[in-house]
Order: sequence, then structure tokens, then C-alpha cells
Amino acid sequence: MGNSKLKDSKTLKESNTYSKFREIDGSHPLKKNVPEAVVEYQVRTRHGGQVAFFNFDLAREIGLLPENHPDELTKELKEEILNTFSIVIINEYDLMNNFNFPKDDIRPNTFMATRYLQLQHPCKKGTTSGDGRSIWNGQISKGGRTWDVSSCGTGATKLSPACNINKKFYQTGDPTVSYGCGYSEKDEGFSSLFFSEVLAKNGLETERVLGIIEFQKGLAINIRIHDNLLRPSHMFNHLKQNNLPTLKRMVDYYIERQIKNKIWKNVPTETKSLYDYFLNQVVETFAEMSANFEDQYIFCWLDWDGDNILMDGGIIDYGSVRQFGLYHHEYRYDDVQRWSTSIKEQKQKARYIVQTFAQIVDYIKNEKKKTIDDFKSHHALVSFDKRFFDYKNRNILRKIGFTAKYADFLLENCKKDIEDFRNDFSYFEMAKSSKGPQKVPDGINWNAIFCMRDILRELPQIFLSRGLTNLISEAEYIDIIKSSYATKADLKRSFRRDLKIRSYQKNYIKLINKVATKFKLAPEKVLLDVSMRSSVINKYDRVTGDSITTIVQKVMNQRPKLSPEEIVVVLREFTAYQNLNPDKDRKVSNFEAEKEQSRLVKGMLQIVREFRDGI
Amino acid sequence: MKIVLYSGGGEEANHYLNTRALELTGVDMPKLTFIPSSSYDAEEDFKFFVEEFSKLGVQRFMHFCVDIPFTKTLLTEVLKSDLIFLGGGNTFYFLKHLKKAKMFGHFKKFLKRGGVLCGLSAGAIVLTPHVHTASFPHFDRDDNPWDMKNLSAMRLVNFEFFPHYKNSMRYDAELIHHSKKSNLPLYACPDGGGIVIEKNELSFCGKGHVFFQGKKFTISNYLG
Repeated sequence: MGNSKLKDSKTLKESNTYSKFREIDGSHPLKKNVPEAVVEYQVRTRHGGQVAFFNFDLAREIGLLPENHPDELTKELKEEILNTFSIVIINEYDLMNNFNFPKDDIRPNTFMATRYLQLQHPCKKGTTSGDGRSIWNGQISKGGRTWDVSSCGTGATKLSPACNINKKFYQTGDPTVSYGCGYSEKDEGFSSLFFSEVLAKNGLETERVLGIIEFQKGLAINIRIHDNLLRPSHMFNHLKQNNLPTLKRMVDYYIERQIKNKIWKNVPTETKSLYDYFLNQVVETFAEMSANFEDQYIFCWLDWDGDNILMDGGIIDYGSVRQFGLYHHEYRYDDVQRWSTSIKEQKQKARYIVQTFAQIVDYIKNEKKKTIDDFKSHHALVSFDKRFFDYKNRNILRKIGFTAKYADFLLENCKKDIEDFRNDFSYFEMAKSSKGPQKVPDGINWNAIFCMRDILRELPQIFLSRGLTNLISEAEYIDIIKSSYATKADLKRSFRRDLKIRSYQKNYIKLINKVATKFKLAPEKVLLDVSMRSSVINKYDRVTGDSITTIVQKVMNQRPKLSPEEIVVVLREFTAYQNLNPDKDRKVSNFEAEKEQSRLVKGMLQIVREFRDGI
Repeated sequence: MKIVLYSGGGEEANHYLNTRALELTGVDMPKLTFIPSSSYDAEEDFKFFVEEFSKLGVQRFMHFCVDIPFTKTLLTEVLKSDLIFLGGGNTFYFLKHLKKAKMFGHFKKFLKRGGVLCGLSAGAIVLTPHVHTASFPHFDRDDNPWDMKNLSAMRLVNFEFFPHYKNSMRYDAELIHHSKKSNLPLYACPDGGGIVIEKNELSFCGKGHVFFQGKKFTISNYLG
């Protein structure tokens, strides 16, 4: 009797600990609010999965695990994860072929794949495109905030490009099609994991990986989380189809969600003003995002379809996402049928997305659709252009190392000085190798040659040492900024380059002096402050796309010896090192803090160093 | 030759040595360079270094890592400093990269032209003839996963240095054992303590001990 009671109480405790998992059961308000925007599938259990990774920090943050849950993958937790997420859809192919699946494996609720516009589909109106190998698991809420949960690799839907190009349904796992087979791979999951955690640590909006369930042959289900997984393309398809009622319901759903999640503040209640507010939010989001991507060298393949990006500017689908070490503005990804956009062109694509939203808002407000060209000079685009450069100005001040207080002063009072400096900065950042375009493993590039992070990090130190009246020589300047891509010919001096080197330094000093004068500080004090912040922001070794790929290979090679819990430790250590926020919490030090990184993390840091100039 | 060896310890504890090191520079507005033992999170250590010496009126600081590639421009500037401070950490890792970056020769020239070279813990050990003292006691020693065999160091002083010394039987047993095999005196200093070398004269800060040929002596005259 006694034992049985104990058992009961243990089971009850465990069932309470993991009760939140049971809320993730395919339910999602989008199904009811905008049924035309989804395709519902029955799902069944997919057997043979193992939990390769589980993000304890994220699970606690979203309330999936209690705050006090240790970083331990207990047998019960493993079972909960597999029971909730190890599923596969029963697709059209299965139904047509009358496959009989065990009744116990079939889940009671349907799960949705969502429809959205995708340029790689033959139909350019988005009638057939959307989640090709993902389903939405549902939602989870904590403290008034709700997150969407979706999984990639859960079976072939009828919305995949392969299905529509070849006009046939595919069996899940069909080896004759890659993406269209409905599965995803473990390395995709780990790449997304390492990349997204680093970017999230550095304040960028992104999907995050909650867990990875691995199967035989390197396959996996990759579970992702974000507080709103809608993309612009979730609205653009209805616009292209002239489907006003659905479009309006989709926009309304998004607005309501942002308000409920308290992401938007001071939202007007009057309907027409509400849509203007929505458009203004889009302008702000996309201006900030495209400025950030450009300044942090993030390549995200934005295009007119509004895919590959979330409505709040968050990064999704890390397949083609990269972070460059230098401003490789000529890099293009080769997607077989087409070349991607370049990092420089992202701004124009973001601007076009804003233009499309101006069209959407006008359509909803006036119930009459005008052409996209009618919005070429819309005030939203004027506003976008202005805000884009405002964010660029703020970003350059941040990169220099100014605190928010100093940056605010300069932005308000010294715009011309900031822009002069930014022009000099850009001159060197944009410099390309005399070698011309070169093939790279996944596309084409024309190498950038200067590492501007190095000059931002080293110049303030040298000025501190020599004094602000002593500019560094042209040769010294080039010695600092030259990257591993620069050839002898690239480093040749020219009259214009020499002029720019002097101008860069003079404009830099001007900004330092303006702050010093305003805040009644010695310029050396400002310089010291900037120097210390800049050494964190412009750290020598910052991750690039290539380094992430290599790091993931290293982690995969350690599996299965490397347990999910150990991966959590490695990931935490790695992302902490890649946190380039100078205001992050500091640990106590006496100049000799023990550097107790694991051997694996040491190896990772070495990789980051090796690839630091790359793509 | 002006050298300051720090044992370790917190900011307050090293106030005397910091002040003395600055005095040795002989300039009103000295330029200081901090060289961490590893670039890993070195920015944090640099912040603390700046905070500590800022309190003593220093305004000009540089930060220089030897385990990542550096430019000739920055190295030249570093060597123009009035004081170079080598931080603590893993002695073997630090030694490996100081050698790889060929820093020994630079430091010798720096000292010759009157610069003050300071080292804390690992940074102090690398200034001595070799880094054997980082390998014991068995309960508190640096890892050597690189399996470095050549442990010879800068040889700027003709004694060994043992930082973070605690006056206890278990420390003494290992230090006495080591001193029997060595023909150099081994100075052991507690945290907050250290040795100041000016010209060829040694002065001690904190209650230090010397171990020599199997015997332990207490240093009775010390400053600070």
C-alpha cells in the first residue's frame, strides 16, 4: 500500500512538472481565425527518435519547464519531449495509398501547415506554397506572453515546391527528392541552434531552437520557437490572390497577437488609425532590421515574397543565413535556379516589403486594390528611408563604442559629423579585392579586403597612447585593417585612400571631442571608455557562417558520446563568449580569472578565429 | 631593470605594489599595457585592470593579446608603454603563446630602455628561469594539456617564484621537496604580496618565504 501511494504521488508530481507539454497538441487560433491560411493534417507518432538536444533555458523562459527544473534530461522528460514532438503527418500520399497506421499512433488533433508566398513556386500568387516540411505544434504562454511552436522535418506537405513543380504528392522520406521529402537533417538543427543562440544573445530577433530529435541516417525533427512565427509572406499570398477578407483576417490576427503579447505600446483603438499604426510598425521593424543586417554583415536572402523573415524582423530558416566577417557585399548564394540577392540589396528588398504593406493597408482601408506601383512614393517609404539611415547612424556610434547616452547626444546634435564618419568608414568597408569575383563552395563572392572591426578596436588605444593630436600614418592604418583576403595589389596606396585615412581619423576625433565638450570630460576619458567598449563589441573572433558550419561538424562528430546536457553546457559557454554586448554582467576578476573552457569549446574558438574574415 | 612580481589576490590587496610599480615608471602620466594570459574574455580582465589603475590617476591604457594575431603597429605602440603588466591564468598556455609571438626579446629590450615589467601569478612565473612552480602542489596546479616539455621561461631573475602561497604544512612539504632538486632560491608569496626589483635590489611586499636546498626561511624585512 505504502509503496503504491509513493508511486502515485511521484507520478502526480511528474505529471504536474510536465503538464505544459500537453498544451502543445496542435491547437492554434489561426486555424479558427483564418482557416483558408492553413492546411490541417492528422498526425501519428514517429518512432525511433532520440532527444539529441533540449534547450532548458528556453524551455524555462517560455514556461514549458518550471523555473527550478535542473538541466537534466530525465527519463520522464525525454518521454514527454518525444511524445509531444516526435510526430509525422499523414499526408495526401498516405491517404491515396490507403496506408493503415496503428490506431494508437494516431493523435486526436490535427496539426496545421501554413500557406505563404514563396518565389520558388511556379504559382507566383501563393495558392500552392507554404510549409513544405513543417507543421505548427501549437502555442505556449507564460506571464501574458505567447510563443508559437513549430517543427521542421515532420513530413511532406502538399505545399512544398517539389509537390507543385512535379505535380505529384510525395511519400514522406522519399529519397528521390531532398527538401520535398518532408524530412530535415540533424546538422540543419544544430546549425540553427548555434547560430540563433549567438544572434539572440546579441539582441537580434530570431527563431530559437527548443529541441532536436534525431533519427537514423542523420535525420531529425527540429523544434523552433518564436513569439510570433508569421512572416510577411503569410499576408502577401492573400494580397496577390485579391482575397481581401482573408487578408484582413490575417492582418487582424497579427495585430491582435502583437497587442496581446504587449509588444506594441499605445496602440490606437480606432480601426483606420490601427492599420496606420500597423504600417508604421512595419516601417520601423524593417528599417531597423535591414540597417542591422547591413551593419552586422548578416546575409538573410530577403526577397519580394517576404519569406525568410518574420513579421517582427526575426530571422527564420537558417539554411541560407550567414554572418560575414567582412562586408562581403558581392556574395551571392547559388540556389541552382537563381542567384540570391546580395547583402547590399537587402535594403531594397526590405523597402519593397514595406511598399507591399502600404498596398495592403490601403487595400484593407479602402476595400479597393491599387497596383504596387501606386505606392512607389508612399509616405511609408519616405519614412523607411529616413529611419534606415537613423538606424545606420546609431549603429556606427554603437560600433565605435559610444554609450547610449553619448550616442543620443550625437544623434540629436551632430548628424552631419556622424554621416561624414560613416562615409569614410563605408569607403574602406566596401573595398574589394583586385582579384575580382571568385567562386566559393555555395555561390560567388568578390572578396572584401578590410576588417573594420580591427580599426575600431585598435585606433582608440593608439590614440590614447599617442594623444589625439597624433594621427596614425597611412601605412599603419592599412597594417591594422588589412584582412587575410587582401593581396599586395589591394594594399597599394593611392591619393584618395590616403585622404580617406586622414579624414577617417579626423572625423573620429571630432566625435570624441564633441562628446567630451558636451559632458565636460577629458577627451582621454571618453576615448578610454570607447576603447574598452569597442574591445568587446569588435572582438577579434566573431562567428561567421562558415565557422558555424565547421563547429556543427565538430559537435556532430562528438555525438552520440556528447550528451544533450553536455551540449547545453558547451552551447552556453560558446554563446557567452560570443556575446558582444559591452554592458553584459561582469564576473568578478583579479586579472587572472581561470579560463576553464572545455576542450571542445577551445576547439570551437580556434575555428572561429580561423574563419573570422570569411562568409 | 625594473620588475614587479605579484602573487595575486584582489584589488585592495595589491594597492601597495600597484603604487610602487607606477613610481618605478618615473613619469607623471604613464602609459600602461595589459597583456592577459589568454584572449578568452580578456576584455573583462582589462576592465578591472583599468579600474584599479585609474584610481591611481592613470589615464592611458592599452590592451594586447599574444594568443591572437596582432599588427606590427600595435606591438610597436605597446613596447612604447611605460609599464607592461602580464596577467594571470594558465602559466603553460601563456608561456606557449609568449614564445610563439617571440615576446621575450621584446620584453628584454623594453626593460633595457627603462620600462617597468610587472607580472601577476602566471605572469610573474614566466619572468623567472622556468615555470616548474606552476606544476605543483598537486592540489593546486595549472593544467598542461598541451604537454609542454620545454618549460624554460624569460630568465629575467635568478630565482623561482611561487604565487598564492599559503603558510601551511601541505604547501611547505611540496615546496621543500622541490627546493631540494633546484639550485635556485624559491620565493613564495601570499596573495597581496610580491617582489619589487629595481636595478639588482629585491624588496618584498607581504610576508614572504624562501625555500632553498630543502629548507624554509621567513623573510623578516618587508614593505607594504
